[in-house]
Amino acid sequence: MIALEGIESCKTLAEFLANLIPGGVVFGLVDKNEFVWVKASDTFTIDFFTVGNKLSDDTTTMCAIHEKKVLTQDIPRTVYGKRVSIVSIPVIDDNSEAVGALTIALPKLHPVAAAFEDFAPILAEMFHEGAFLYMSDLTKIAYTQPSEKFDMPSIPVGYELDKTDIAYRVIHSKQPIIEEIDASRYGEPLNIANYPLYDDNENIVATLGIVTPKKTAVTLREMSGNLESSLEGIAAAIQQLATSATVIHSNEEILNSDINEIINISEQINEISAFIKEIADETKMLGLNAAIEAARAGDAGRGFGVVAEEIRKLSAQSKSTVPKIKQLTDIIKQKVSEASEKSTRSLDASQGQAAASEEITASIEEITSMSGELSNIAKTL
Amino acid sequence: MSSIELVVFKLGEEEYGIEIGFAQEIIRIPKRITKMPDMPSYIEGVTDLRGRVIPIIDLKIKFGFEQTERSVDSRLLILDLENSLLGIIVDDVSEVIKIEEQAIERLSGEISGLNSNRIQGIARINERLILLLNGLKMKSELLMK
Repeated sequence: MIALEGIESCKTLAEFLANLIPGGVVFGLVDKNEFVWVKASDTFTIDFFTVGNKLSDDTTTMCAIHEKKVLTQDIPRTVYGKRVSIVSIPVIDDNSEAVGALTIALPKLHPVAAAFEDFAPILAEMFHEGAFLYMSDLTKIAYTQPSEKFDMPSIPVGYELDKTDIAYRVIHSKQPIIEEIDASRYGEPLNIANYPLYDDNENIVATLGIVTPKKTAVTLREMSGNLESSLEGIAAAIQQLATSATVIHSNEEILNSDINEIINISEQINEISAFIKEIADETKMLGLNAAIEAARAGDAGRGFGVVAEEIRKLSAQSKSTVPKIKQLTDIIKQKVSEASEKSTRSLDASQGQAAASEEITASIEEITSMSGELSNIAKTL
Repeated sequence: MSSIELVVFKLGEEEYGIEIGFAQEIIRIPKRITKMPDMPSYIEGVTDLRGRVIPIIDLKIKFGFEQTERSVDSRLLILDLENSLLGIIVDDVSEVIKIEEQAIERLSGEISGLNSNRIQGIARINERLILLLNGLKMKSELLMK
């Protein structure tokens, strides 16, 4: 406790100390229940500590005066807007009555929060696509650190935590949360990691969050997905191609055997026409013999001679069809062998096609597996 | 105007004719021809024609042709030369035609003599020239030495 006579010395000391204490400090002198003198450091102040402000009975200071002993209390953020430790030392007059108190308010800052401005700018720039770091207390965002490449203007300092916010959920679950969220909330896909921070008494007092954009990874993943589905399409098309090549192949085989059959048939036609020739020869011989016989019979054979002449004409006619038939069957054979040659060529071509589509299928499979790997890599980014 | 009927056949590329009165019939060359010993080379052999044995003569050999092979059209023309039957091998009997006497050009004695009177004349029908065999001469030439 401080004697009334020592007050002036304390004030002098406080004036001197105020800017020497790391993190800052506010000194306040209370007479009865009213601030009569206040000294705040340049970096830290509390609005309530203002000369003329009166204190209510439930404050640390008033309790210290009433109880005539030094009290130290941690005051949550809800009271002064920041977490502070209050130390109140009663001032005693000559009659040992407590007439006031010297109250010292010190900011209560988590070490991570204290260091935030030192590490956050460096850390934020260390991510390939940039990062956004923030710290929250139990209700709102306390610090933010954007990077050159990435910022979240929708999360300013003072932003009230919503129960859908990850920080809010970390505070209530007391568990770190690492989550990917899609573009529906912030306009682009993000990876958010948030960790609870505890005070010396193991109470959660803050959270530290780091937000990294997932745009490249998601784009990569989408592209590899697209690639995979296009490759599936191509594979299906090639499958179809291979199937039709097989159909062409079997059609060509059927065609070939049909062609061979046609060749056989024209051979048979030739055999038949050889038979016609034989009959025509025989008929011709009969006609000639009949003519000879008629001539030997003299006048009596004249009528018979006419018949013999007709027979010879008929035989000559039927014989003349033979080379025509031969000519036609030769043309058939020639055309058929041309067709056969073409069909053989298209058979070769369709085999080539089948082989080529197999090669393509193999390449596609390779590309597909590569795109699968790509997709896996994208997922881990 | 008198006309004669000819049986026309081919020997090689040339057309020959003989009066129809000397012809008996035309048959395919028999499969079985019996060779006879000590015969001139143009005598192919003998064959049986409905119970009569007749000699077969390869006329192209007799006439000194260099190519004497036969084809599917080769036939045996049976001739009746004064009651002697004999067969001559020819390359296709083409027809029996009737021609006017004046269409036949008789050969001069010198030319006729050169081929031993085998050809008695040449019949001209359009562009065709048909060598007319002397049927009366044939028997003595073919069957007598």
